[in-house]
Amino acid sequence: MRSAKPRKPISYHLRKSLPFWLILPTLIVIIIVQVYPALYTIWLSMQARHATGWEYVGTQNFERLFGTGLFPESVGHTVIFLTGYALVTLTLGFVIAILLKQKVPFTGVYITLLFIPWIIADIIAGLIFRLMVTPDYGLFSGILQNPALFPPNGLSILTAARPAPWFGSFPFPPSPAMIYLILAASWRALPFITLLILAALQTVSHEVMESARIDGANLVQLTRYITIPLILPTMVVALFFLMLGGINGVGMVFSLTGGGPGTTTYVISYLLYVIGWGQLRFGRAAALALLIAAVNWLLILSVLRITRINDRSR
Amino acid sequence: MKRNFRSLFIILVMAGLISVLFACASPAPTKTTTTTETQVKDFVTWFQYDEKNDDPASDERVGNAYLRKTIPEFNADFSGKWNWVNVPKAWDKMTAELVAAVIAGGDVPDMVELGGQQTITYINNNALMDITDWVKAQSWYADFEPGAIKACTGPDGKIYCVPTAERPALVYVWSGRYPNGFPTTPEQFLVEAERLKSEGFYAWTYFGSTAYGGSGAYRMVWSLISSYGGKYDDGQGNMLLNIPENVAAITFLRETVAKGYQPETVFAGGFVEEDAFKDASAGAIPTGLFGYRYINPLTAPDGTKFDKGNETDMIDAIAAGEVIMRPMFAPEGNIPGCNLDIQGYGIPVGAKNPEASHDYINWIMSDMTRTIEYVIGPGAGFPTLVSAQSNPAMQTPFYQQAAIAINASQCSNWAGTLERPAEASELIMNAVYKLIKEDPTMDIATELQKAQEEYNANN
Repeated sequence: MRSAKPRKPISYHLRKSLPFWLILPTLIVIIIVQVYPALYTIWLSMQARHATGWEYVGTQNFERLFGTGLFPESVGHTVIFLTGYALVTLTLGFVIAILLKQKVPFTGVYITLLFIPWIIADIIAGLIFRLMVTPDYGLFSGILQNPALFPPNGLSILTAARPAPWFGSFPFPPSPAMIYLILAASWRALPFITLLILAALQTVSHEVMESARIDGANLVQLTRYITIPLILPTMVVALFFLMLGGINGVGMVFSLTGGGPGTTTYVISYLLYVIGWGQLRFGRAAALALLIAAVNWLLILSVLRITRINDRSR
Repeated sequence: MKRNFRSLFIILVMAGLISVLFACASPAPTKTTTTTETQVKDFVTWFQYDEKNDDPASDERVGNAYLRKTIPEFNADFSGKWNWVNVPKAWDKMTAELVAAVIAGGDVPDMVELGGQQTITYINNNALMDITDWVKAQSWYADFEPGAIKACTGPDGKIYCVPTAERPALVYVWSGRYPNGFPTTPEQFLVEAERLKSEGFYAWTYFGSTAYGGSGAYRMVWSLISSYGGKYDDGQGNMLLNIPENVAAITFLRETVAKGYQPETVFAGGFVEEDAFKDASAGAIPTGLFGYRYINPLTAPDGTKFDKGNETDMIDAIAAGEVIMRPMFAPEGNIPGCNLDIQGYGIPVGAKNPEASHDYINWIMSDMTRTIEYVIGPGAGFPTLVSAQSNPAMQTPFYQQAAIAINASQCSNWAGTLERPAEASELIMNAVYKLIKEDPTMDIATELQKAQEEYNANN
């Protein structure tokens, strides 16, 4: 007969389970704010709302979403917006960061001033930019609507039609409103990206730069062969930061163009807002939200992969 | 000692967590005001007005003032029973918020202020109570204009709201810009528009953008299309856009746009197009009857200023004969059309105190003074009760002018039998905008056909 195992004291079990109890609050929060909404969105994407309540419709919401004229158009606008937004912000951010890195007087003041757009909410920034170009009385309307400067009838950013597309139905070249939207969004994101790049520039070894200079490298060569490769990981992170912000942000579109003129600035996040909160088609909006989430996941995975490769190479 | 301390710590963490969970799970205490004898319940309403906003320059000044005056009166008349609590909501967000609240089983008001288009959206989402039996049992039911109660009737024939005011669309006209009277036909309009253009003015201004969910589709565009004999539906719930009357109306509109008879602000959204009427640089503005609330201050063509900066500016300009109200012009032999919307009340599914809504609605509908006070206040339209239409308050210059326009028109709700008006207006206005502004070379019939097929594919 085997002797019974000695019972462990309660304090032992409590001690063993301590990690579980400590992470439980976080788990509960994650379940409430992330897991449940995600599962609910998946469920919702297969439902349609009727006067009698919800009805299961399978993949119909996805099919009908793809069948609307606005979906492919919005995807095209989103591609253009993201490309322009990332290009303008990264280029300007890089140039400004290079300038700020030079030891010029009042650098601190410039950085402080540069940061102002970052603390302004998207919606407010959009409204300000809108007021600047409102036809007839906008701050810049006098210049833009001058036929001598913009023949034949002047340029009204908020109402000008888009040029005829060059590549089938892909909305390129963009409308003036889309270009303006890109500039406004870039203005808003520029401070953060500039500081990110500036911080990365500070890590570039002075000795390496000095050695290259002694070897006869000019400014372009220094930038092309030393600075950019060394800060590339930061630039990639900045790029994905911009892509994620750009694909999900709706505030600027909402207050600056409202998707217009016509549908020329309908981006995918704005379409989601319109379907969900304008048309109250929650099932279809959930289907679109899932598609956007999939793109987000891909972007995040890419960032993780790139940063991991970078870590390994060190 | 150390082990005891650790055990105590774990027990404390568990106890804290459990109490937090219990606190979250417990229902929130219902907000009621108790008196010594009876329990006073809250009567919660959602209006686009805010009684706490006493800014005299507020766009919603009239509705705000109505609530500020009426809430204490209602509370006094129902002392010991109801305590009216109003929650102000943005006009263009209220529908989505209420539908979301109903679906989520969240807190909904006991009564919501609504318009005709909102009603069908609410019905489609099972967000309004069926109040057919109650409405039909009220003394004022027999006094309703038939068209008004129709706007509150769902596709199933049940009544879901109480219409309190009718808001037709018409054209506000600067008489000084149209000394020979506002045109009655499109041909006359083109002549007058060319004259005004040569004088450096715009013939008209209107809401021509795709903003606000394509609401332009049921503003001027609907007035014009219905005046041409056009429509948006086939009477069976399907969208029907590609018909000769609609094509003719859009062809005409396209011509006016190409000739620049309107300011560019027309297409910018945000209601900035109203500015051209305010300073009389545009001769007319087709809009809703209640538009006078928002179009101020005014400067007449002769330089007279009406600059109190509130709704009385337009009323004063009408009384002075500077502004007149007219129907939309229509081709020879056609009756001018216009959109007919209603303003009313509904009781959301899940309302805690629907009896309070019954009491309030009876309170204003059974008393002529209160009915009129509502109609010229937040109702901003004509009374839906036939007996109220002869009231002296409806004989002011403003209402006399409005009657001239409305009596010469045949008004109907733009959505007809379309059961998804929010989606329909967006599709229609996007198509119209493309045709008149974005690409005036596009084939009108093809684009209209495309829009109607996209809508009907979801029927």
